[in-house]
This record gives sequence, C-alpha cells and structure tokens, in this order.
Amino acid sequence: MAFDVDRALLDECVHCGFCLPTCPTYVVTGDEAESPRGRIYLMDLATRGEAPVAGPVTQHLDSCLGCLACVPACPSGVKYGALLDSARPQLDREVPRDRFFRAAIFALFPYPRRLRTAALFGVLYQRLGLRWLTHRSGLLRRLPARARALEGLLPPVRVKDLLTKTEETGQGRTVALLTGCAQRVFFKPVNDATARVLAAEGCRVAVPKGQGCCGALSLHTGRDEEARSFARRTIEAFDGYETIVVNVAGCGSVLKEYGELLRDDPVYAERAAAFAARVRDVSEVLAELEPVAERHPLPLRVAYHDACHLANAQRITREPRDALRTIPGVELVEVPEEKICCGSAGVYNLLQAGMAEQLGRRKAENLTSARPDVIVTGNAGCLLQIRRYTEDGQLIMHPVELLDRSIRGTAS
Amino acid sequence: MSLTDLRDELTDRLGRDGVITDPAHLRTYECDALTGYRVVPALVALPRDAGEVAAAVTACARHKVPFVARGAGTGLSGGALPVADGVVISMQRLRRVVEVDPVDRRATVEPGVTNLDISRAAAKYGLYYSPDPSSQQVCTIGGNVAENSGGAHCLKYGFTVNHILAVDVVLPDGSTTRLGGDAPHQAGFDLLGAFVGTEGTLGIVSSVVVRLLHTPATVRTLVANFDSTKDAGDAVTAVIAAGIVPAAIEMMDNLAIQAVNAAVDAGFDPDTAAALIVELDGPADEVEARFADLTRLCAKATEVTIARDAEHRAKIWQGRKAAFAAVGRLSPNYFVQDGVVPRTRLGEALTRIAEMGDAAGIRVANVFHAGDGNLHPLVLYSEERGEHERAEALSSAIAELCVELGGSLSGEHGIGTDKACSMPRMFSEDDLATMLRLRAAFDPEGLCNPGKVFPTPRLCGERPGPYRPHPLEAAGVIERL
Amino acid sequence: MRPTSLAELRDAVRDTRGTLLVKGAGTAEGWAGAPDPTDHMLETTGLAGVVTYNPADMTVAVRAGTPLSALQQELAAAGQRISLDPARTDATVGGLIATADSGPLRHAYGGPRDLLIGVTVVLADGTVARSGGHVIKNVAGYDLGKLFCGSFGTLGVIAEVVLRVHPLPPASRTVSIPCDAAEAVAHTGRVLEARLEPAALEWCDGELLARYEGLESSVELRAAATPGGATLSATEADAAWRRVAAVPDHELVVRCGTRPSQLPAVAKHAASMTSSTAVGVHTLAVADVEGLRAEFPQVTLMAGEGVPAWGEPHAAVPLMRAVKQRFDPEGRLGPGRYKPWF
Repeated sequence: MAFDVDRALLDECVHCGFCLPTCPTYVVTGDEAESPRGRIYLMDLATRGEAPVAGPVTQHLDSCLGCLACVPACPSGVKYGALLDSARPQLDREVPRDRFFRAAIFALFPYPRRLRTAALFGVLYQRLGLRWLTHRSGLLRRLPARARALEGLLPPVRVKDLLTKTEETGQGRTVALLTGCAQRVFFKPVNDATARVLAAEGCRVAVPKGQGCCGALSLHTGRDEEARSFARRTIEAFDGYETIVVNVAGCGSVLKEYGELLRDDPVYAERAAAFAARVRDVSEVLAELEPVAERHPLPLRVAYHDACHLANAQRITREPRDALRTIPGVELVEVPEEKICCGSAGVYNLLQAGMAEQLGRRKAENLTSARPDVIVTGNAGCLLQIRRYTEDGQLIMHPVELLDRSIRGTAS
Repeated sequence: MSLTDLRDELTDRLGRDGVITDPAHLRTYECDALTGYRVVPALVALPRDAGEVAAAVTACARHKVPFVARGAGTGLSGGALPVADGVVISMQRLRRVVEVDPVDRRATVEPGVTNLDISRAAAKYGLYYSPDPSSQQVCTIGGNVAENSGGAHCLKYGFTVNHILAVDVVLPDGSTTRLGGDAPHQAGFDLLGAFVGTEGTLGIVSSVVVRLLHTPATVRTLVANFDSTKDAGDAVTAVIAAGIVPAAIEMMDNLAIQAVNAAVDAGFDPDTAAALIVELDGPADEVEARFADLTRLCAKATEVTIARDAEHRAKIWQGRKAAFAAVGRLSPNYFVQDGVVPRTRLGEALTRIAEMGDAAGIRVANVFHAGDGNLHPLVLYSEERGEHERAEALSSAIAELCVELGGSLSGEHGIGTDKACSMPRMFSEDDLATMLRLRAAFDPEGLCNPGKVFPTPRLCGERPGPYRPHPLEAAGVIERL
Repeated sequence: MRPTSLAELRDAVRDTRGTLLVKGAGTAEGWAGAPDPTDHMLETTGLAGVVTYNPADMTVAVRAGTPLSALQQELAAAGQRISLDPARTDATVGGLIATADSGPLRHAYGGPRDLLIGVTVVLADGTVARSGGHVIKNVAGYDLGKLFCGSFGTLGVIAEVVLRVHPLPPASRTVSIPCDAAEAVAHTGRVLEARLEPAALEWCDGELLARYEGLESSVELRAAATPGGATLSATEADAAWRRVAAVPDHELVVRCGTRPSQLPAVAKHAASMTSSTAVGVHTLAVADVEGLRAEFPQVTLMAGEGVPAWGEPHAAVPLMRAVKQRFDPEGRLGPGRYKPWF
C-alpha cells in the first residue's frame, strides 16, 4: 500500500506545537496523535513507509475534523488543508472502512430528491409519535452511537418546505444562489430568507436550475473523484453568472477551491479557477453593499458561532458580525472557546459520533453560558449540531434569517 | 519483571485509553520541539488526575522502569525526550484550573494548564501570571516549573521560580509530597527553590500554586531600528546605565525579522539591520517620564515606532514570539541555542557568532532578550543537504562560547539532552557531583528522567573531555581547588 | 577557626575531625533554636570583600563573610544596591542566606533566594562546589544556592555568593495608614488594585506603611494617591521604618508565612509584629509559640530560649532529611539544628 504525501508540504512543519491548543480533538483527548502536529507526524511516517497506513495512521486522520483552526495559529505557514486533502483520498482508496455506512451516507445526502423523500419519512416518524416512542421506550439508548447521531440530528421540517422551491426574486445586481443539497431540504427557510434579504438590499437573486451538491461533503471525506464530478456539474449550472452567493460555510469554502480541485482537468481547469474567484459568502456580499433596507430593532443578546469553514478556511469573521450589527438593538455577546469547532464538520458527526458528541456538548455549554436570546451561525451542519445539544426551545438560526426578520419587521 | 507486566499494571490503573502501546502511535511521542533527538518510548501513560500520576509512577518504580514526564512537548532542549525502553508520562490530561483566589492573589492549577490560560483565568480579577515564555499559549505550567522558564518580561519580573508558591510533587518512588507553602517562607531549606528548574529529574509536579500580580497600570512599547546590532546593543547598555529597568528589551536581527514578517504582519522593517523592542510598565507617571528618557536614549536609532494601542502592541509581541517557528519558513531545519552572556559582552558575542557562522558556511539568525544577555541564535541548516553535523557543532560551539565569555549554557530552555555534554565546560566534576547529591536524595534509583542535564558516557562518548579552566578561573577571578 | 581564603576554608573543614558550627557575625544567635554543642566553631568573617563587581552587568560577586552594610556601601558608590533590607544590617551576606532573612523590600524584590544567582560552598568532606554563575538568567544545572537558603549552616559552608544588584532609587516616599490588622488586609488590596507598585508594604503595630521608590515626581504622586494615607516627612519615615526593624528586639520572636488574608489571625498571637501584608510573611514577638504553631505550621524561631525550635514537621521534612544525609552523611555540620525533625 503506497501512501505518499508531498515531502515539501510535510517539511514545513517544525514541530513547534503552536497548533495544539487550537485543535478540538487535542483539547478533548490530550493525546499528541490527535493534534495537527501528531497527524502530520503520522502522515510523514506513513509516507516514509515507517508506519502502516491502516491502523492508527488512518484512525487519527479520520478523527481530524478538518476544521483548519490550526492553520492561522501556525507560525511556519504549514498548509494543513492541503495535507489533509492529499491524505484523505488515499485513505479512502487504500483503507476500506465503514464501507456500508459511507456508501449509505453518500447515496443519500448529496441528492436533494432522495433526501427530500427521506425527510418526508422523517416527518412522519416525528408526527406519528414514533420518535416519542423511540426515546421513551429506551430503544434510543440501545442504538449504536451512529444511529443515535442520525436520529438526533433530525431537524424539525415543515412539509410545506419540503414541497416548494426557493423563488427568483428582486431587481438590480444579479447574484446566483447556491441552494445546496441538505441545505435546501432541511433549511429551505434559510434560502428563502437569503433571497429576501439580498433582494431587499438591491440584488436580483437567480436560482439556477440543474444545480446539485457542490461536492463539499465528498471532498472532506476523501472521495475526491466524486467531488470533482459534482464540481463540474455545479460549474455548468452556474455558467454565465457574475457572482455566486453561498449561505453554507462548508460549501462556500469548497467552491472557492474548485480551481485547486480541478487543476489537473484540461477541460475545466481554467473555468474552475474563474468560477472560484466569483464565489462569495452571503455575508461578504452584504458587506460589499450599503445597507439599504430599513432594519427594525431587535433588542436581543446574540451569540455568533464562527463556522470553521468561514473563519478558518475563508478567513471570514468580521463580515457576519458587521452584518448583525446593522440591526439596531442587537448585542453580540462573547462566547468562551469560540474558536473550537462544534463537531459537525460535514458528516464527521455521523462517522465519528463519539468525538462529535463531546465537542457538540462543549460548544452548546459555551454558547449557552453567554445567556444568548438567539444563537446564529452561517453553516447548515453547525446549525444541526448545535440544535442537537442545546435546550429544546433555544432559538438557533442563520444570521441572514435574523436580518430577514429585522428587515421584514416580524418576530417569526 | 517485564514491560508487559508494567503495561498490564498501567492499563489496570489508568484504563485502556490511558495507555498507548501501538508502535506508530508511540512514535508521535518520540521527541519534543527539539527534533534533532528522537527516541521511541516503550509505553506512554496518560493519567487524568494526581492520583493516576502517582499510580503510574508507583508502577514504574515497582518494575524499575525509567520514566519521563511530558507536558505539551514544546521544550527546546530535549527535556521530554523519552528513554529507550522507558515510559513517557504525559501530563496533558491534567488541565484544570482548580481555583483562582483574587483575595490572596494566587491560583491553584493542574500542571497541564497552559501558561497563558492561567492569565486568562485570572483576567476577570485584573490579575495575571507574569512569566511569559514565547510559547506561552501552548507550553504548560508544569513544564515551566521543570525548566524555570523565563520569557521576555523576566528582566523586570523574574522567572518561574519567583512566582511559584507551592507544588505537589510525585516523587520517583510514587509517594507525594508538598514543597513550599502559603507564603515565600519555609521552615527549613528552600526545597521548592531548588526543585524549580531541575528539568523533571527529581519528580513529577501534580499541582501548582502560582502567584498572581495585578496587571500594570500603564504599558508603553516602542520598536527602534538600528544600522547594526552593535548600535542596538549600545542603546541597551545606555538604557540600563540610566537606571531604567524596562519590563522587556528584545532584539531581532535582519534575518529574524524577515522570518517574522513572513508569519505575522507586525510592521517590522525588513531592511533594518537590527530592531529593538523595548517595553516599560508600571504606574503611569513613572512610565511616561521614563519613556521620554528612553526615546532620547535611542538617539542613534534610524526610526522609532511607538505602539499606537493595545492591538498594535499585541501584534508586535505576536511577531516576536513567533520568531523561532517562523524561521521554519527560511530554512527546513534549525537548532536554537539559549546561551547567556554578561550584557556588557553582548556585542562581542554577536560578532564572534557571526564569524563562526561564516566560517562554517551556516546562516545564523539572532533573536534575543537583550536586557539580560540571553541569546537565541537560530542556526539554520538543511538536513537534506547534509548540513546536520556542521550545524550541530556550530550550535554547541556557540553555547560554549557563552560560557567562555563568563556566561551560561542556558538562560531558559534548560540543559536537557541538548547541552548535557557541554556541562563540563561550565562546571567542574565536583560541582556536578554535588548537584548529583541532590538528585540522589530525591531519586536514589535513578528512574526519573535519567540521562538529562548531566553528561553521561553513553550520551557524550566514552571519555568526557579533559578539564579546562573556566575563563573566570583563568582570569583569577575565582579559585578552583 | 577563622579562615581568610577559600583554600583555608576548605582546609579547615577537610582537615579537622568532629562536628562544626558555622558562625558569621553572630547576629542570628538564637535563631532556629540551639544546635548541639560542637567540637569546633568556624567563623566566616575572615572571608570578606568584594571579588568582582561590574556595575554595568548589575551583578556582584562577594565573599560570604562580608557584612551586608559594607557591601551596600561599596555598591552605593556606583549608584546601586542589593535590594535586601533585613533588620540585621551587620549580618554577613552568607549568614543572611543561611537564615533566609529579609526585610520589607521582600514585597517587591523577594528574599535572598530571589537575589542569589551563584554560590560557592564547601561541604562537610571538604568538597568545594559551585552552582549558578555570574549572569542573572541561568538555568544550567541545579540551583544549589536556593537549597542553601534557610539551611542554617547544616548543608555546607557558604563561601562566596553572586548577587544581582538594582539601581539605587533616586527618591522615596513613605505613606502611613493607621489601621488594625483586618483593615490592613483591605487597605493592602486597595493599594495593589490602584497599581501604585510600592517597594514595601508593611503593617507594623497598628500602622500600614507603604514606601514608594523611583523618580521624585513619581513617588510624590503615588504617595498622594494612596487611598487613606498620609505622606510622612523624611524624619517621620525613618522613625517608622526603624520601628519595623526593631520588632525582632524582643525575647521571643518568630517568623512565619501565611496567606496574606490570615494576617488578623496571626496578629492575635502577637505582642508586637511587622508583616509584609501582600506577601504574608510576618515577624512577631509572641507569648505563646505553641498556640501560633497550632494554627500555622511554617514558623521559624528567631529568638527565644526554652522553646522548641521547630513545630510539627511539614510534608517536605523527609526530603530535608534525605538531602542532609547526602550532603553531610556524617552529620558534622550543625548537628541537632533541626531537632526533633532529624
């Protein structure tokens, strides 16, 4: 089994350890192999052939969230994201594990239509009291961690949202909205709110047909070929649009990497790079625009959670906060350990349920300790994860939804 | 008794996830931040509390297996280098801040708490923990106690030993004792003072009580550029001679500045030969008055930048503190030395180091605590180009140069593995033998981090070098009998 | 025996048989009880004088038999000082280290162990050993100097020390706040929170004294800004600090270390006392040592006859015994000094 990660990338690490306190899995376990420094060391050993790829090397790389919090902390400029992107596909090919579970996840999540069907069943499960029964009977406790994880992450969805689509709207500068895969099924209201807010601020929001999954989930799990085919399709669907706006941090970061992802594709390489340069998170677009629409006051304590793929991967921390501050009455409260990942990390919270649970609980505790009226974050995965571990009844939403409420002057 | 028995006993006491046995996993513990030396341990133990630490040590003692305590593994002298066929006891699961006491201005913490986290926990009371090693965001207080760590602000505020009130220590036989007390007054010898800085060779710290200070009323920071390190050094001498005791004086040469600029946008001038960072803190009027003196004393500076606000100041320090690791951008490998010279011989030391570097054909970047003469020459080399041995020789030669100039082998990183073989340059056999008496009192079986600090035939070659007179002895300043 | 050089000292120790008592200027007789009678007395006052002094390096190497006052005089000529102000100014430097004695300046500068950067000692078998060096920043090897602090001549004879020096402050002001022990704790908190950074903060028999050192303008301002305080004139200040230094001139005096907030509990036992209130080190004239010891274990006897020198052994006493065993296996130096501990 050949495992080979670029020596030049590996050698940038001087083993200083500055990354350790930023790494969520290290913070939880205290084990060197669960830190970026340790993971790089293992990649190095495997590349040299001094350690087998299967076993601890795979195990510790699998447990990495890919949150990239280590990247800004590294004084040597190690490109940890590139290391992971290089290693994960190799593991996927060389070390078969969780084959059934992974196949199931990837047969379902990236396909909105299938996901919608599953979600409808999910609604039935909830409405018909089956969920209540599963919890009450203790059956839930006896399910393996992964099934528990799946069960717990089921968000409340309205049938209406499952059966309608986000509409084109507004006049002015054209922006094309990525509706996402899991996003459009479980968070259609967020897409609707995004469209409304952008329209209110003077944009024409287009919703191109034929768009599917952007490939983020696949790429972050090491299924790079699958990610590339999703990428090509996405580029085709958004052909001709000047600005592509995204409201999911994970998707946005991968879209901005399409150039890298397709650099070896002779047909798509240039188009991918050009595409990537036109991608913006909704908070970036709002930051570029002057706030035009009047905002009604919302006197609320707001806890903003930095999604890793916004803060670390895209270095976007100021824009969402600035956007929230345009709402009169909003008080952004300080959250302890704000840079530590919530544990969602794509489908990590399904594949590494144990660690994800620990991190999810920790994040929930940290957020609620600031006594917020509402928790906001710009990523679907984080929304699901945080909702799972906070009290029922805690208001959690995408920042753009709060803006939407403020502009429309409604509380709901 | 075999290692398997020890492994079983440890697993029994610490649980399966408290013991590492897999070979690849063990290798992630084979070195600290000094990657020039690597030894794979036989086992790694990850205790969760003081009781488990004692249990781990007891088990090692029973089976007569040597052990090495490890904090965050950021040490630069190989102090956490494992012993072959030995155990590494990682302290990284003991990370609680147990108590912050704002009334008596102290904090009780577990040894795995990072240096900076202590200050963070104390911040809401307007208090902080003063020693600030550059790796403070990741290095642990337990490691600081072992090395008697300093940092940029130790010129005014002192070192770890001046800020520790008490420690609980798991002794090498597994028993636990307490050194120090509620106040800096002991009945009897100052065992606490002797213990701090013994590099993990006398026992493992399982709890620390640290002294907290009030954050200073005023802080003023400036960066002054000079045409040469000599000019910068002269400015330092002038400042000290004027009776000013700055909170910190740091110097970086051009190569170091280049590295820092690549890592942090702190605004250092990439074209200046040397930059001084000087910081004063204390009561407002005293600081303002002294600051005016200071700016005058930097008359030969080509440019002086005064920190605009707290954010700017933070950036300047972030840049300086990232210097070592940032150097990784200039060179794939490096050794960092830690020698100290009397401040009046700083210029001489820098000149000699430059000469030695030129002669060896190896680049040396300089970052250091100019105020107390603690140099950190960064010897840059490439493993791939086969420069390791030349660089290692240069590195040792620099450390020994410091001794020659009347200084010390190490100001804050510790002797560890790295400089143990140079100890006979600084101390006589009698000196070392006397220190070993202290070691024997704590660790008669020699199981606690053996092979560190003191030269051994195995580490340094069969015959240690012939005794040479210490330079102060040659100058008739001290007598050797 | 009164050697006048390191070689003579080494010979004196090595070439005699039997037990030895090390004596400096004798200003601390009565401290730490009475050791057993010894065969020989070894006086260190013949080992006097500065060895090297470079003001620009801010360090001084001095022979251990030098009286502190003499050393301070020499340093003052270069505008520097050792920031150590024990009541016993005639004590030798070695003696101060062996007794770990200090004065009000401990608030800002600590005790001898915080100023000691190098030491040369002669062990009971005549071994001459050095540790530390001539630079302030030094972690090479073990710090034997700290080990010898508070060792009362039982581990070896301190022959030479290297100390760090500080600039003599251009000016000073002392503020007095009359208050009782409980109020003193509160006032101390206020002074510290105001970040006035006094060099000494000492509560002595109903009066909290804060001394500021630095530039004239600065000390004036800080003194005036001290909440609840009145600035003393130079004469008044001298008198106040002399009162502090006079506390040990009683029949039964102890020094103990506690949490600073326990000052009132300690004061209950004191006929006269002075306390570095932010540090928690108290010097007090007591009537009932046992009563004090029942509450606070770290108590050292400074003067007093017929009183046990040491109370309940603290946690580290077994280690002390082990160290003593290694440094002086035959028990030559100051035998019985630590009775009943060992």
